[in-house]
Amino acid sequence: MSFLPIPFPTVSPVLASGVHSYASELFKEVGFLGFLTNSVVVALVVLGLVLWFSRKATTNMTLVPHKAQNFLEFVVEFLYGQVVGIVGEKQAKRAFPLLGTVFIYILVSNWFGLFPGVGTIGWGEATGLLSIKAADSPLLRPPTADLNATIGLAVSAFLVWAVLTLREVGVWGFIVHTFGPKGGLKGLMGVAVAVVFLFVGVIELVSIVIRPVTLSIRLFGNIFAGENVLHTMSDLLSAQGPVLSFFGSVALPLPFYFMELLVGLLQAIVFTLLCAVYIQLSTTHDDHGHEEDHH
Amino acid sequence: MISALPIYLAAGKVDQIAEKFGLAWPKFLAQVIIFWIVFAILKKYAFGPILGMLEQRRQRIADGEAKLEKIARDLAEAEKNAKAVLDQANSEAERQIKEAGESARALAEKRQQEAIHEAGQILAKAREAAQLEHEQLMSQLKREFGRMVSDATSRVTGKVLNADDQSRINQETTAQVSL
Repeated sequence: MSFLPIPFPTVSPVLASGVHSYASELFKEVGFLGFLTNSVVVALVVLGLVLWFSRKATTNMTLVPHKAQNFLEFVVEFLYGQVVGIVGEKQAKRAFPLLGTVFIYILVSNWFGLFPGVGTIGWGEATGLLSIKAADSPLLRPPTADLNATIGLAVSAFLVWAVLTLREVGVWGFIVHTFGPKGGLKGLMGVAVAVVFLFVGVIELVSIVIRPVTLSIRLFGNIFAGENVLHTMSDLLSAQGPVLSFFGSVALPLPFYFMELLVGLLQAIVFTLLCAVYIQLSTTHDDHGHEEDHH
Repeated sequence: MISALPIYLAAGKVDQIAEKFGLAWPKFLAQVIIFWIVFAILKKYAFGPILGMLEQRRQRIADGEAKLEKIARDLAEAEKNAKAVLDQANSEAERQIKEAGESARALAEKRQQEAIHEAGQILAKAREAAQLEHEQLMSQLKREFGRMVSDATSRVTGKVLNADDQSRINQETTAQVSL
């Protein structure tokens, strides 16, 4: 295997032999470094970027903001407004750090995957001093195209959801909220409705349990599919000679880069909004029920 | 045994999925740890300071608005007070002007009366002086006329009149002229 720094004039952008459904381990031979995949590398880069920009934006903050501070203020204020609009002012104070992090982390990861070289620079069958036929084991892969990362995100969000929910309504409150009959019916009808709501509660419980699965697979699927689309479009003219191959690998995926920019943003929004909605649904008190109880 | 078969099958499927997508605990934990580090970084260095700054700015704007309202209220109050002071000053000035006018009219009236009185006195004095002069002139005329009558009498009669005759003729002449 040879490492590929890819100088531009050598050949057209090197294409992976195919986008793997998994993140490649960078040090297969070193057992304790098995966790270090190409998506972990990008996750670390994203971490570094976030740390660098956060420090840059919040160092020497002034009431009249400088450029970086202004940009971060815009992002944070916008996100906070959206979160408040969904979960309310009280829960927003608790949930915003997680939801804001989820949004920024997913967005930066998604867009990082669109940088030239991500997924195309790596190890593969050598064809020259600094070139390979295809990057079988890319050096970089967006974390959101790794199921480990998306499940990790979804599980983290699920844990925070559980903590916020139990803090707000308690265990019994959650059970009542999930399984308790609504409508305040008494007698035989009340029993029938209670049975129905018990069944609905079981369905609700199942839907809650599979939320991390749906969240993670949706995100992974979209980004992984995007990687495949870009790869396929880049590879479309690879058999038509070097000139057409070069032209095709640059021009054909270009429109899809814009689409992937949009998809990356949309997926970050979808993941974050769904988490916010889940929190809102389970932390909202059933005031109507209480009112009916009082009556 | 038969009932446990789906579980074995399911376990096999899960293993297949895990293998296909490279799922492994170390990789999963690495991603989770990195995410929570990002969370901690953003919470400490981004969300905390930025939300604090936004709150500070919001507070400052609210304070500014409150001060602006207070200034507007104070301005309105000051304008109201200034208007009241001006109104009071105007009414006071009008009163003083009116009083001054009345005082001037009274003084002018007084001066006019004094002037009229003084003029009357001057006229009376003038009349008295004229009367006195007239009387003196009349007296002198009478005496002159008496003398002329005495003189004419003495010439006509050729008699030298003594002092008694002259006195008698003068008195008679004067009495005649007075009538």
